[in-house]
Amino acid sequence: MTESLTDLEITDRLKLIETMMAEGRRKTESWGWTFLLWGVAYYVAIGWTALAPAALYGRALAWPVSMTAAAILTGIVSARKTKNQAETTLGRAVGSIWVGMGLSMFFLFMAMGLSRRFEPHVFVAVVGAMLGGANATSGLLLRWKAQFACAVVWWAAAMAACFASEAQVTWAFLAAIFLCQIVFGGYAMLRDARARKQFEAHHG
Amino acid sequence: MAEMPELNPIVHGKLRLALLSLLAGVEQAEFTWLRAKTGSTDGNLGAQLLKLEDAGYAAVEKKFVDRKPQSVYRITEAGRTALTDYVAALRLLLGGSL
Repeated sequence: MTESLTDLEITDRLKLIETMMAEGRRKTESWGWTFLLWGVAYYVAIGWTALAPAALYGRALAWPVSMTAAAILTGIVSARKTKNQAETTLGRAVGSIWVGMGLSMFFLFMAMGLSRRFEPHVFVAVVGAMLGGANATSGLLLRWKAQFACAVVWWAAAMAACFASEAQVTWAFLAAIFLCQIVFGGYAMLRDARARKQFEAHHG
Repeated sequence: MAEMPELNPIVHGKLRLALLSLLAGVEQAEFTWLRAKTGSTDGNLGAQLLKLEDAGYAAVEKKFVDRKPQSVYRITEAGRTALTDYVAALRLLLGGSL
């Protein structure tokens, strides 16, 4: 090719390549909504358990029903959102972590509930450790400090569960849900919306 | 003005360059995703993807999902090399003009 390019055009081309490659690598879907959804589901389950009359049989169903409903909603919405999306190794790796952790918690807590060996301290310690592990791995993969900070919060809640009273454990659990699910989920959604807006501004 | 010596004409097309760059960042991508990211029309996108296919820079797999046809594209080794060479040539041009 013998035609000429100005420096500006060359820089433009390089910028286009960089932006497009980054767009491909970027998680093309916002997953902040899943954090919010699960945070709300945890609060519903906790509220249901705490507020329902002890005699009410439905109280025992608070966690199984809330978690199953959240899992079904997550499945339906994510199937719609990821339809026709590009596939990346990173995206599959992060997705695998959360699916693996979710299944581990589901089987473990279902068995604990059925065997009537459910104990609040153990529950918060296990949930904290598992969510801490998943957030840390995902945060390291995505090089996302905010998500790693969530892991630290969950680990702190898990450790607190080993030493604190039941009331303190409940407060620690509620605070961890608020920070790592509600606040972090909202922040992730805002961040994604901002990135999407920037991309659209550059590429009309 | 910098002269453009060995710039690959297939990669040089703006939409084709955008497509190759997008495909370089993912394992595979569906036609509609590429259309959304580039904002191009079906006809133009199909034509440019065909050029990339003919040059051996992109590979397509056509399949049916829920009875609907789906075209899934991925970058080939030759495409990745062509993109890398193109970037190197641009950088050289930019460096040479300074």
